[in-house]
Amino acid sequence: MARLAEHEKIRPDWWSKSLVGVVLGFCLAVGLVGLFAWFGPGGINADAKNQFNMWMIAPLWMLILSFSYLFRTGMRAFLWLAGANVLTYSMMFLFR
Amino acid sequence: MKIRSDILRNYQSLHIWTGIISGIVLFIGFYAGSLTMFKPAINAWSSPPEQIMAPIELNQYDDLIAQVLASHPEAAKEFTLTLDNDHQSPITWFETGESRELNLDALAWHATLDQEQQLQAQQVTPGALGQLIDMLHRTAGIPGGAGHEFIGVYVLGIASVLYFMALVSGVIFLLPTLVKTLFAIRRNKGESRFWLDAHNLVGITSLPFHLIISLTVIVFAFHDQFYDVLGEVVYGEEQAFIRPAMPDEPYAIAQLPKVDEIIAGAIAPTPNVTVKEITYMNLGSKRPMVRLGVYDEHSLMRGPITDYIFYQPYTNNILGSSLNPSENGVWVRVVASFFALHFGSFGGDLGRWVYFFFGLAGAFVFYSGNLLWLEKRRQKAPGSEQRKSVKIMAATTVGICLGSILAVMLSMTAGKWLSAHVENINDVYLCVYYIAFLASVALSYWIGAARAGLYLLKGCCYAALLLPVTSVIALIFPSSGIWAADSVATLGVDLVALGAAGVFYYAYRLAKHRAYHGSEQSIWSLKLDDASDQIQLGKPA
Repeated sequence: MARLAEHEKIRPDWWSKSLVGVVLGFCLAVGLVGLFAWFGPGGINADAKNQFNMWMIAPLWMLILSFSYLFRTGMRAFLWLAGANVLTYSMMFLFR
Repeated sequence: MKIRSDILRNYQSLHIWTGIISGIVLFIGFYAGSLTMFKPAINAWSSPPEQIMAPIELNQYDDLIAQVLASHPEAAKEFTLTLDNDHQSPITWFETGESRELNLDALAWHATLDQEQQLQAQQVTPGALGQLIDMLHRTAGIPGGAGHEFIGVYVLGIASVLYFMALVSGVIFLLPTLVKTLFAIRRNKGESRFWLDAHNLVGITSLPFHLIISLTVIVFAFHDQFYDVLGEVVYGEEQAFIRPAMPDEPYAIAQLPKVDEIIAGAIAPTPNVTVKEITYMNLGSKRPMVRLGVYDEHSLMRGPITDYIFYQPYTNNILGSSLNPSENGVWVRVVASFFALHFGSFGGDLGRWVYFFFGLAGAFVFYSGNLLWLEKRRQKAPGSEQRKSVKIMAATTVGICLGSILAVMLSMTAGKWLSAHVENINDVYLCVYYIAFLASVALSYWIGAARAGLYLLKGCCYAALLLPVTSVIALIFPSSGIWAADSVATLGVDLVALGAAGVFYYAYRLAKHRAYHGSEQSIWSLKLDDASDQIQLGKPA
């Protein structure tokens, strides 16, 4: 593996990445669950599916949060997650 | 497996800091959670035998209900039948307080039928040892409420977020060396290497358990908020709660079907389950309901012990069921399995024991993680003073972790000894727990982690011994007001305590050896301390 130049290395950016992961990660998790709720098996009114949907928030949120630290900077984390949020929510509100 | 070094470094930092912040409360949550695996046994162990009334046959329950409702009409609001269980009275109801919430001042009634089919009822203030240990498990003993939830539940929810991050980051920064070192427990490369290897081995082998626990705890803490957000953002106006129509007149209790009819109707779709208990609610109202706790060793169950069926006894309708074998029942069962995987309510007794040891192993992972943090930060140059942060963290770890265990065991023993002499035994449990816990923490800050660790390990050993010793004393002196273990379950509590005493003694010996024969620069060393103190330590406390 070639040595990385200093600007290519991942910056820690603890506070910004954590904030982005907690807030935008949560929004994205809810949005993804929303897509599953509307377009996944059974549709929006399936019996007791809302319980399952609620359960899915935590694992999605936690995975997004945990891997937010892989972005090179806090700013990049913000831009990627914000973009993913916009995409997810527009899909949900356009097609439901 | 190769991973870029900048990623490894970042995730190593993440692992260390999330771990050290959340480890101590999780330690309490885990060891107390292990104990809750045997909550019914602990409750049976701690209940005075005279409080538990004689079991009756299934066909006697209708007579029992009729007699109870005739002489105690207020029981119609809610009463619970326990079927086929020597450790609980056949019927119980609450005069004050709710059965579902933890109410330490509740007044309950227990009743049974005697040989002449006559009602025998007595009023008790139920000891809630099992429920209190459960609370300790859910809140780490942090008192106070926020809204209708406990502050401690939220604290553990947040700790679980950190815990999940610690799991992911721990796996990432272990990956490059995982294959080579997983099963290598290197004792000869110094104590810190041994602790690191053990921490990694236990953490990786129980990783699925840890992932499940961390995610379920987050859901348990924040499900209200999650549902609110889902309702607002995703469902909008789609989410409608349909309440069933009510009749004009309340139902007449005289029309109540017999117990075996209710059981037959409720379990008709799932006939292979065993009914453990039945709670009747609001019998004489327009909205009566019966909740059946049903057990199936071969399934993943929604509750800590059983699945639930909610049943309308007068109209023979199943109102709801965590078994739900209907076509749409897949979501109900999937969600039930999430609960079961947290509660360990599958696989019968073997499943419980496996979860018991997983819980203890989890506590070990957190404790050893803290030790590794301390080991990494200590001053290693001879003669140099340890940093304040290291001293404080060491004292906090030892004081809170060992202190909490010591306090639970003292509290259990005190409850048994004082049961005959106090009005409400729950006050004793709480007082003894918090006094012993706070005293342990104070002691640890006062005399330092190395010395406090020895005292507390020895204390834990003696306190654990007190449980079986109490049983022996009860057998020798039957009039002493205490009682001995008298069943497999309650004897099990005594034997586990005996085993724990052995483990604590072994840990004490190791810690003592290290204190006097290990490296002088270890934070656990007592070599350089005042020589006169050393002589005192040799004697039993």
